[in-house]
Amino acid sequence: MDLSSPLANVDVSKLSDRDKQELQQFVVNESQKARIQSSIHSLTDTCFKKCIPAGGVKNGKLDKYEEPCVRQCVDRFLDANLVVLRELERLRG
Amino acid sequence: MDSLGGMGSLGGGDPKTQIMRQVQQEAAMQNARMLVEKLNEHCFDRCVPKPAASLSKGEEGCFTACMEKYMSAWNTVSKTYVARIQKESQTGAALSNSF
Repeated sequence: MDLSSPLANVDVSKLSDRDKQELQQFVVNESQKARIQSSIHSLTDTCFKKCIPAGGVKNGKLDKYEEPCVRQCVDRFLDANLVVLRELERLRG
Repeated sequence: MDSLGGMGSLGGGDPKTQIMRQVQQEAAMQNARMLVEKLNEHCFDRCVPKPAASLSKGEEGCFTACMEKYMSAWNTVSKTYVARIQKESQTGAALSNSF
């Protein structure tokens, strides 16, 4: 993220300690949000491939098979993620 | 995802607000860029199996449907994922943000 150009005229040294603290918290929250959004992109990528049959797309709506498939895909992916973490944890002893 | 335009119009406000606004705009921009990339990747793959001299009407129609479907899937994933995170943070299970 290039913050330099549009904020070139902002003098950070003028910020009060309270402002700095508030900004720090703000950035922590925004990073968390960005991480979640990035996971959503990645999950959509995976689940679209799995749930929407290969080939051309004729209808824009998710049909009655695709919609539950996408939901289950997300939940099972996260279950699988937990299994991996638990197994690694176990291996570490 | 609704702020594709309006970049660089920082206007007034104190430095703190300016920085916050800038960070949010960058995040929205990054999100939109990611969506465009994924839409193109998936829909091109499905709708243009054999690239010809120009996009046919059929291919364009496929793109429209494919984009709508991908965004519906995005919304469904988003709802399911956020619900899951909330559930897990309540029950105190390990928050699976590590992926």
